[in-house]
Amino acid sequence: MAAPKPIPGWLRFLRERVPVNVEVFEELSKEPIPHHMKNWWYCLGGTPLMLLAIQVLTGILLTFYYRPSPDEAYNSVRMITEEIPFGWWIRSVHHWAANLMVLAVGLHMIRVFFTGAYRKPRELNWMVGVGLLFTTLGFAFTGYALVYDQLSYWAATVGTNVAEHFPLLGPWLAKLLRGGETVNPTTLTRFFLFHVGAMPTLVAILLGLHIFLLRIHGVMELEAPEEVQQTPLTVEEDREGKKRFDPNRFIAFFPDHVTTELLVGMFLLTLLTMLAVVFPAHLGPPANPDETPLHIKPEWYFFPVFRWLKLVPLWLAMTGLTAGGFALLLWPFIDGAIRHRRPGSELGTAIGALAAITLLVFTVWEALATH
Amino acid sequence: MSLQFKKIIVAIFAVAFTAAVIIVGIIEKERAKPEKAAVAYADEATKACIRCHDEKHVAVDWSRQWEQSRHAQKGIGCMACHEAKDGDPDLWLHEGYKVATVPSPQDCKSCHEQQFKEFTESHHAKATQFIGSLDNILGEIAEGGPAANLGCKQCHGSTVQIRRTGDPKTDGLPLPGSWPNTGIGRVNPDGSLGTCTACHTRHMFSKQQAREPRTCGRCHMGPDHPQIEIYEESKHGIMFAAWREKMHLDADEWIVGKTYTAAPTCATCHMAATPTMKSTHDVGARISWTLRPLFSKRLENWEEKRQRMKNVCLECHAKTWVDNYFVMFDDAVELWNTKFAKPANDIMEKLKAAGKITPTPFDDPIEWTFYELWHHEGRRARHGASMMGPDFTQWHGFYEVAKHFYTKFLPEAEKLLPGVTSGINELPEHAWRKGLTKEQIQQMLDFYQSRYQQRVQ
Repeated sequence: MAAPKPIPGWLRFLRERVPVNVEVFEELSKEPIPHHMKNWWYCLGGTPLMLLAIQVLTGILLTFYYRPSPDEAYNSVRMITEEIPFGWWIRSVHHWAANLMVLAVGLHMIRVFFTGAYRKPRELNWMVGVGLLFTTLGFAFTGYALVYDQLSYWAATVGTNVAEHFPLLGPWLAKLLRGGETVNPTTLTRFFLFHVGAMPTLVAILLGLHIFLLRIHGVMELEAPEEVQQTPLTVEEDREGKKRFDPNRFIAFFPDHVTTELLVGMFLLTLLTMLAVVFPAHLGPPANPDETPLHIKPEWYFFPVFRWLKLVPLWLAMTGLTAGGFALLLWPFIDGAIRHRRPGSELGTAIGALAAITLLVFTVWEALATH
Repeated sequence: MSLQFKKIIVAIFAVAFTAAVIIVGIIEKERAKPEKAAVAYADEATKACIRCHDEKHVAVDWSRQWEQSRHAQKGIGCMACHEAKDGDPDLWLHEGYKVATVPSPQDCKSCHEQQFKEFTESHHAKATQFIGSLDNILGEIAEGGPAANLGCKQCHGSTVQIRRTGDPKTDGLPLPGSWPNTGIGRVNPDGSLGTCTACHTRHMFSKQQAREPRTCGRCHMGPDHPQIEIYEESKHGIMFAAWREKMHLDADEWIVGKTYTAAPTCATCHMAATPTMKSTHDVGARISWTLRPLFSKRLENWEEKRQRMKNVCLECHAKTWVDNYFVMFDDAVELWNTKFAKPANDIMEKLKAAGKITPTPFDDPIEWTFYELWHHEGRRARHGASMMGPDFTQWHGFYEVAKHFYTKFLPEAEKLLPGVTSGINELPEHAWRKGLTKEQIQQMLDFYQSRYQQRVQ
């Protein structure tokens, strides 16, 4: 039997002081993931995570200079954009990463939806994911309001006015957001605290839960039969008692998938920097509560909601939005019920396709509309 | 995709990201440089002009104004407009430069061709053609030349005369009497008409200033065409005064309904763009009546012009509102034409035919009465109606017209030629003066109702 390899000094130093079983980490890093994940495009779940990391980093840097009071907010953003070294870049990357985040979360959800990856036993993880989607939109809404230019201020006004009409909880929710009956100096402070305190905490909890559930379920196999899906970890032990997995069905998380994520991460960094250079984040005229801009338009990801609000009476719009939100949250169970009643039916896919097309049409419609 | 291939792509992106960060660094370095001067670019000649004028302290503020202009930002320097060629009528040899002393629309044309074309076709460009009119005889002769030079011609425009005495120091300079002058229809030494600086005052040449109602009010004011006063009295003017900070007068693209909605200015209705109509420098392009002469006439292609004006109105008003208003406006103009202009003119013709007044204008008192009746009061009534100024339509307008027609003009005419006004009371509009029975009063009210859609008490 060959003599064991000598361990480098620095590693021994670490092992003596952090006495953990390294093999456990190795085991964890070699988490088997389905073979289809070899394709680089199965990385939409990791993309928001990387974007989140960028947001945390750039967000902390922005907080060094941002001052969350109505008198100072706009000027501090202007200072970040115009005077602070690399401030324009950091702000623009933060702006673009936020946009890509919404896009990536949306695409991830679409992928999960149409591959049926939310089905038993992963229903709860879908619900956590929906929670993450709402939190992401909350981040985007509060972050946009912090800029405190005209459009930003009026977006907050319109947004909180809309929130007021949510069934039952609306007035309470609007008051919670605004800190009063109307948008007032307290609102900006609240939005800031939601953006840098409450929502990051919520995201950390939901994300932890999301990854925990993902790890204990394993990634769903695309081609596997349903019963395999429900017991996905096909791990065998070899003669020496070491755990192995079927290389035809699985690949290792490290280095295979990590490299894919690294690839996407590098691409994102390059893309964000290029976007920041070519389309730097805009700063309009400062907020003026006495002057409503001629055309208020939210950011693109709220276009479908905005169009929907214009199309139907407010009470119906808000009831519809609330119902839609619940349907999205409870979709795995709705889908389960449909499949239970009509096995083999494609009704769920059809509903999803219709919803996706509607969202797309509303977005384009609102983008083209002048009023 | 194999692991190896993925690693290569990661490496490629690492290089791309590094390059991107280097670009960011370069941009940051550029930004960190001391702020560039407000003047983006000034050519050598311009620098020389500014330096010399500053040193000698001669007319220095024009260069400060120019520095704040869009021209300065775009590097349009002095010689872009002031450069003269040999043979140019206003060529002046000045400090080694061939300077054109009176830049004209012809110079502006080299960059603003569309605006030049529209302006040249407009009524504004022809404003000096009042020479030979009653107004000009009044100003130049009855009042006197110097009054006309600093009065009428400052708005209408002079014919600029250039000194040519053989003295190289002064040859090419404009002559007093004809210049300084920024009248809108000025006849320039190069033969072109008008001056852009009438509205875009030199040397800022600002769009913002030209959009100010006050800019138009420099000439469109006073007893004979008080448009600025009418505007200020109107809802439009009130809205402008209240919300001027919302007008975004400095916007590059200034479109009612898009850039601003607070109020219309003169420029909004007569010149500026709407979401469906381009802007124009032909101020008559949207005017359907001529309200200045004794008899108002519908202008050539008036329907088309009316449609253009309605296009602006409809940005803020509904169709019925707009259509009804124009019916009321047309009725007021027709009322002037038929009730006062025609009978008064007929009487003047009869007095002339009978030799009671001479062919020389303004030598008979009744000529002053008649002139003021249509040129001042009659215009005020029509202009007031055209721009929704109630007081100018009524008290400064039709009231004065009626009062002076009945109590001054008719008695003066009757005195000159007894019986000349006898037909007046037979006209249905004036029949009330005979004293009326109840039925006749009703008949009269019905007549006004059917003809002008207006009730008379």
